[in-house]
Amino acid sequence: MLELKRPPQNTRKEIVHVRRDGADLALHLWRPKNLKGAIFYFHGLQSHAGWLWEVGPQYANNDIALFVLDRRGSGISDGERNDIPDVDTVLGDYAAALAAVRGIIGDEVPLQLFGHCLGGSFLAALMQHRDFDIPYDSAVFCSTWLGKLHATLSEEQREALAKETGTQLWDAALKSTDFTDSVKYQHYIDNDDLAVRQLTKRSRATLLGLEKLYMEPERELPPVPMGYVSGLTDPIVDLDDAHKTFIEMTRGRGGIIKFPTNQHYLYYTDVRTSLVNWSSTYTLIPGLDHHG
Amino acid sequence: MSISDWQKHWKARRGRFIEECRQAHERLLADLKNPGAAQERVLDDIIGVSAASLHWKERGYDTLAKDATSFRSALPIMRYDDFAEVIERETRTKGGTLTCSPVLRWLKTSGTTGTPKRVPYTLHWLLTYRIPAMMAMWGTYLEHHPELLAHPYATLDTQTVREDVSDFVHGVEHQAVSNRHPQINTRDWNPPWYEAPWFGPDTPTSHEGRMYHRIRHLLGRNLHYISSINPSTLISLRDLIAVHGKSLVRDLREGTVEGEPWGEPDPAAADRLEAVLADPAFSLKDVWPSLTLYSCWLSASAGLYQSKLDAVFPGVAKLPFMSCGTEGVTTIPVDDTAHSQPLAISQAFFEFVPASVPLGELVERGEAVPTLLFDEVEAGEDYHLVMSQGNGLYRLWTGDIYHVDRVEGGVPWIHFLRRDGVFHSFTGEKITEAQVTQAIEQGVAGLGLDMGLYMCGPQWGEPPHYVALVESHGSDRGIDAALSGRIDEELKTINIEYASKRDSGRLGAIEVVTVPHDAINAYVESRRLAGNATQYKYKPFQQDIAFVADIVGD
Repeated sequence: MLELKRPPQNTRKEIVHVRRDGADLALHLWRPKNLKGAIFYFHGLQSHAGWLWEVGPQYANNDIALFVLDRRGSGISDGERNDIPDVDTVLGDYAAALAAVRGIIGDEVPLQLFGHCLGGSFLAALMQHRDFDIPYDSAVFCSTWLGKLHATLSEEQREALAKETGTQLWDAALKSTDFTDSVKYQHYIDNDDLAVRQLTKRSRATLLGLEKLYMEPERELPPVPMGYVSGLTDPIVDLDDAHKTFIEMTRGRGGIIKFPTNQHYLYYTDVRTSLVNWSSTYTLIPGLDHHG
Repeated sequence: MSISDWQKHWKARRGRFIEECRQAHERLLADLKNPGAAQERVLDDIIGVSAASLHWKERGYDTLAKDATSFRSALPIMRYDDFAEVIERETRTKGGTLTCSPVLRWLKTSGTTGTPKRVPYTLHWLLTYRIPAMMAMWGTYLEHHPELLAHPYATLDTQTVREDVSDFVHGVEHQAVSNRHPQINTRDWNPPWYEAPWFGPDTPTSHEGRMYHRIRHLLGRNLHYISSINPSTLISLRDLIAVHGKSLVRDLREGTVEGEPWGEPDPAAADRLEAVLADPAFSLKDVWPSLTLYSCWLSASAGLYQSKLDAVFPGVAKLPFMSCGTEGVTTIPVDDTAHSQPLAISQAFFEFVPASVPLGELVERGEAVPTLLFDEVEAGEDYHLVMSQGNGLYRLWTGDIYHVDRVEGGVPWIHFLRRDGVFHSFTGEKITEAQVTQAIEQGVAGLGLDMGLYMCGPQWGEPPHYVALVESHGSDRGIDAALSGRIDEELKTINIEYASKRDSGRLGAIEVVTVPHDAINAYVESRRLAGNATQYKYKPFQQDIAFVADIVGD
C-alpha cells in the first residue's frame, strides 16, 4: 500500500505514439517511480491531456500512473479537428491505446478506466462493445451525462440525428465559468488553442451511436467496482438523469459519490486533491481479483 | 500570518533545513572530489530524461547520443532561440516534448528580442538540480556562519521573494526564478523564514515597498546576516533606511508597519535608530551592530561595488553568491573565497570553447564547433560556456565568458568575466568590456585615486571617441585630462587595434570624467526605482552617452 510519509516522487511525463490507420495518436503518461496502479482517463469534448498537468504528478505521487489519450482530432493527436470519426474507429483507437497501456504496466497492475464528461460516454460504450477485451479492475464516471441524447431527444429526433452526415459545425456552447470558479483556469480554457469547442453534425451521430451501445447493451459488464462522481450539482449535467442511467447500466451495484463543489470540472476546483486521492484509492483497493 | 505562527514554522523547519543544506553541501564536496564521475552521471541523467521525448525521437538523438563523445557530435550547440519552436509545443503538453519530466512552471527572463524567455522548470530539474544547488550554497554559508540561524531574526534574505503570479502560459505560471511562490511541493525551496512577514506574498511588490517592510521587521533585532544577489540591493538597503528614516523611527516607536499595528512599540530601538541616522554617513553595521555577514555577487562588474560595500559593511565578513542565471547554475561557493568558485560539477554537463573563438558567428552559420570538457581547460584562460541542463536545454551557448583562475583537484575554479561580444567598435577596434575595465582601473590606480562604479559609452563625432564617467572621492575636473590620457594609453597597450586607430586619427582619445562618490550609484538607483526592480542591473557599458547628461548635467 501507500507509504504515507515520503518526499514527492520524480515522476516522468512521456508521450507515446499509438499508430492507427496512418494516424499518430498521442498517449500521455505520468509514470511514478513505484507503479502500483494505473488510471486511463477519457477526456471530454474540449479538453485534452494538456489540461491534467497538475493532476498527473499528484496521481503519480500516490503510485498511480495516469494515461490520457488525446482522442483522434484532439490535443496533439492527428485527425480532423472538430470531427469524431465513426464508432468503430474511435472505440478502436481507445482499445489500441489500452492495449498499449497494458503493454506498459503489465497484466497484474490494477487498471481503472476513468471517463470525464463526454469521455464517460466513450468509456461506457467501450465497456459494452463486443470486441473490447482489455482487462480492467474498476471504472469511474465523472460529471458525465450518461445517455444525454437519449434523455433530451425524442425517438424521431434521434432517428434523424443517426442519419446525419453533414460537416457543418455545431457549437457545444461550453462556458469556462461552468467548468471552474478559478480565474486562472477560466483564462486557460478560454485561450487554449488546442481545445475543441465545435463538432461536425455527423460527429453527433457518432455520439448517439456510442450511447446506443450502453443504453441498449448486448452484454453484461464485468463484476468490477464502478463509481459515479460529481459535484453536489453540475451546471451542464442533469445528475439525476445521469445517476438513473448509471444505476441501470451497473445493475444497481455501483457507488455514487459527490464532492462539495457546484462546478463541472472537478480537477479545476478545490476538491481536486480529494478526487485524486479518492480515485487513487479506488484504483488500488479492488486488488487483483476483479479483472473484467 | 501572526508573529507566533511564522516563528513556529521557523523553529519547526530550522533543524531539518540545516541538515538538508549540510547534506547537499557534502554531496557537492564529494562530487568535486570525483568530478569525472559526476559529469558522467549528469550526462547520463540528461540523456535519460530526454531520450524518450518527442523532440529527441524526432531528431534521432535518442539513438545517437550515448556518451560525451556521441552527445557532442549528434547534438548541435544551441541558442535559446533555437529552442523556441519546441518550447512553444511544450507549453501545451507540459512535459514529454522536450524532456520526460512534467513542466511545473515557466521561468521568465529577458530575451534577446524583447520577448521574455520561457525556461522550463521541470519536476526533475527542481528535485535533482535547482533546489540541491541552493541547499549546497546555504550549506557553505551555514558552515562558516552558523549564527545566521541563531534565532528567527538572524537572517534577512533578499535572494528570493514570494510574489503572487499573474502571468500564465497555457495555465502554467510564468515567473522569475527568484520568485519561490507558490511552493510546488515539499521539496521546493522552504527556508525557515518562508512564512516570515517580510518574506511572504503579502509584502509590497515594489522594490522600495518590499525593502521598507524588510527593514522595518528587522530593525531592533540582532540581525547577523543580509543575503543578496546583486550588491546594488545592499547599497539600496542602506540608502532607503536614510530616505525613510523618520517613518521607520515612528513605526518602531508606535509598534506599527506603515502606520498599521504590528507587534509591540519599541521606543528604545526607535531612539537607537534616530541616533544612528544623525550621522549621514552611517553604515549598516551602525544600524545593526550584530551584523557578521553579507553575501552577494562579488565578481565581474559586481566587483566594482566593493568599495561601497566596504563602506556599508565595515568589519563584516562576506561570502559570494553562486554564479547562476535563470538557465542554470554554473558555480557554487564551497568556502569563503570571494572571487572564485568551483565549477558546479553536479549541476550540468559543461563544455568550454576558448573565448578567442567567434562562437556566435560559428553557431549562426551552423558550423560544428569542437568543445573542451571540464578537465581540458587551462588556468589563466577565458572560455565561452556551453551547458546542458536537466530541464532539456541541451548544449546551450549561454553567451557568458568565464575565466579559469586555477584548477584544483581536477576541478576548474572560475569566475564570470563578461558577456560574450564586444562592447563596441567604431572602426574595427572591437573593444571589449574587460579591456575598458582594465584600462580604467590601471589609469585610476596610476594617479593614486580610488574608484567606485563607472559607465562608458560611445560618442560619435569627427573622429568618434569613448566617454567614461568614473566615481572617485578625488573627483576633480582638474585631474580629468591627465586621467583621460593615462587611460587612453592603457587602452592602446591592451588593444592594439585601438592603438592603430588612435595613431591613424580614426579614433579620438577616450574622455574620462571623474564624478563624486555615489553619483553613478544614485543614477542607477533612480533607474531601478523607475523600472522593474528585480530585473534591473547596473551595466557599465552603454550603447550611447545619454547617461553623461543625466549624471554630469552637461
